[in-house]
Amino acid sequence: MTDQITGSAPPRTPRDGAPASGRTSGLEARPTRRRMRRFQPAWLFMAPSLLILGAFVVFPILRSLYYSFFDWTVGAVSQPFVGFGNYVQLFHDQQFWNALRITLEYTIVSVVLLVVLGFVAALLLQRDTLANRIVRSVFFFPTIVSLVTIGLVWKFLLDPDIGLVGGITTMLGLPSVAWLQSTSLALPTIIFVSVWKSIGFAMILFVAGLKGVPAERYEAAELDGANRWQTVWRITLPSIRPTMLFTSMILTIQSFQVFDLVYVMTGGGPVFHTDTLVNLLYRDGFVNYQTGYASAISWVLFVIIMLISLLQLRLFRYDDVD
Amino acid sequence: MKHARATLAVGAFAAVAALALTGCSAGGNASTDGPVTLKVWTGFTGGDRPGYATIVKDFEKAHPDIKVEMTVQPWDTIQQKLPSAWLTGQGPDVAAVSSDPNAVAQYVKTNSVMAITNTGSGDGKINTSEFAPGTVKEFTYDGKLYGVPANFATLSLYYNKKLFQDAGIANPPTTVQEMATDARKLTTGGKYGIALADNQTIQMWPVLQWLEGGDIVNGKNCSVLQTSDGQQSLKTWADLVAKDKVSPVGLTGAEADSLFSAGKAAMEINGPWAAPGYKSAGIDLGIVKVPVGVDGKSTTLGSIAPLSISAKTKYPEQAQEFLAYWTSKSAQQKFSLQTGFPPLRTDLSDDAKLKADPTVSVFASQVPDSRLYLPHVPSATKVDSDGYVPLIGEITRGKSIADATKSAGQTIDGLTGCSQ
Repeated sequence: MTDQITGSAPPRTPRDGAPASGRTSGLEARPTRRRMRRFQPAWLFMAPSLLILGAFVVFPILRSLYYSFFDWTVGAVSQPFVGFGNYVQLFHDQQFWNALRITLEYTIVSVVLLVVLGFVAALLLQRDTLANRIVRSVFFFPTIVSLVTIGLVWKFLLDPDIGLVGGITTMLGLPSVAWLQSTSLALPTIIFVSVWKSIGFAMILFVAGLKGVPAERYEAAELDGANRWQTVWRITLPSIRPTMLFTSMILTIQSFQVFDLVYVMTGGGPVFHTDTLVNLLYRDGFVNYQTGYASAISWVLFVIIMLISLLQLRLFRYDDVD
Repeated sequence: MKHARATLAVGAFAAVAALALTGCSAGGNASTDGPVTLKVWTGFTGGDRPGYATIVKDFEKAHPDIKVEMTVQPWDTIQQKLPSAWLTGQGPDVAAVSSDPNAVAQYVKTNSVMAITNTGSGDGKINTSEFAPGTVKEFTYDGKLYGVPANFATLSLYYNKKLFQDAGIANPPTTVQEMATDARKLTTGGKYGIALADNQTIQMWPVLQWLEGGDIVNGKNCSVLQTSDGQQSLKTWADLVAKDKVSPVGLTGAEADSLFSAGKAAMEINGPWAAPGYKSAGIDLGIVKVPVGVDGKSTTLGSIAPLSISAKTKYPEQAQEFLAYWTSKSAQQKFSLQTGFPPLRTDLSDDAKLKADPTVSVFASQVPDSRLYLPHVPSATKVDSDGYVPLIGEITRGKSIADATKSAGQTIDGLTGCSQ
């Protein structure tokens, strides 16, 4: 930083933003002061957002960490400090391990499906013809509908006795399947609905990524006699690595936090077979009012998501992408 | 109602019941402080909702110095907002806290609710001695009363007369054995004998268990599910569902209701709130008392939502006056006739008007035989969600009753702090 400001040249990057550099010469003190003055209005402009973020996001997050060390009950007279007690209890809680396993299954299967199917859909629909635009819009449509609405609609469609899906299968002479009441089918069904909802989102990201690949690379590959498969494998995939990273990370984070669909479609049942971490957290926090315990679950979830995101950054070697 | 909880929770916020009071300007007993406004929260979003609105409207007419602002919202929403709202002093003066078993305990523990003292006989007092059995005890902690029933529902047996006719059954069952036989006979041609919900629902399985001579916990809050009586009481109906498929497995309350509404199930055990919906769905509806149990005695589930007063209310007197009016004889008679709910008072059980009403009379006649689900059981909501609901889910999917009840019993004992 010290070698950046030289002579009378005005500072080009206000970003380094250190107001006091310890220099005393008049020439250099002036830009420093100017920077300070420029600094303040920026904070003013940011203040509303910072206030809202601080009060409604940062503060509650830190507060939940604090709660997680207490046997905290909303409104209770005493909130006994338990240290890592909640975390120890979690470690021995079968329901927690069950929820973690289900959340992992849900995340792995749905993210893999979404990335693969989203990429394939994007490959097939990347050219901007009218038909492609229409199909892309259709695919994207479920993304903008709220998960709750989607959950309710699918729940109704899949009802084995009065739903449309059961009606069609019965008409075809097949048995009507209790998708959401079966312990073995409930989770796959929820994964299916979530893939159906988010595939358009993954596809749009990949279409954008594909458009960013320079045409020369394809031309060069063609000249070298690469076939379609080789082009996808050697040119397209390496070129959209940043998109791949972004898509899989966003989807992973979203999947770990799945709640709405589960809450609406099965409520965690049948017999805990779709009980995800956030569903468990909700139950402990808002039905049983064990705020401290629920906070501990949320922090474990946070740590897991952070570790997996770091792993993804590492796997895709984000740093050396050109 | 409880039934639609899951769906309602995610649905739109119920609108504020804006009950504008007009007229009645004669301020006979108007206090010098001017009119006060009581804020009330309830979760009555079902067909019985207008009945509560009537109580409020009549109360305002009779008490020009008190206005009542009643907000109706789904139970889940209340459950999430009320603890912190009361803690910060911004909550309602009066609230129906939850319809879950032993729900008031949570608020007593956090000192959020006020002890109710305005009890006694006569108008203007809360006539606790006239309340349905078990209700006062259910809301009393350490000898103090922290709630009054907002309603008292019993469950009856709904049946589809047409499906009974088609199966060649002349009369609805009067004993639990008959009910089992009928359920088997009615399960035919894609139709189910009975719609039995086991999660997110008003409790139907405990009723069956009681009829079959079993129970969930004993007086010491220890599980009795794993005892031979307990296992026996679950066996018949678990087998009927798992093997004879008399009901779909794993229904929620809302799903069971839809099934019955669609004419695809011949019987359902349900509360009075369901009747209007079934009638408008065009079901040839019959409502009878729940059949008698193996011991020849009647039993059914009683379900109450408590009304409690905030410990931080500025108007404790007016709030108690409101509860006194809500539970009064005249208000309850009107409410029962409007909604089909049984009156929450025993001194109305012989009321001629109520007896003449075919729906009310069935539900009202069962009030004396009704039992509450997990009354005063510690961690009742967890006993339900972690113990009982999974148990029924397992045994109706073919898991051995001995194994399932054993593990459920351990879970429940751990939750209730049973020390036997």
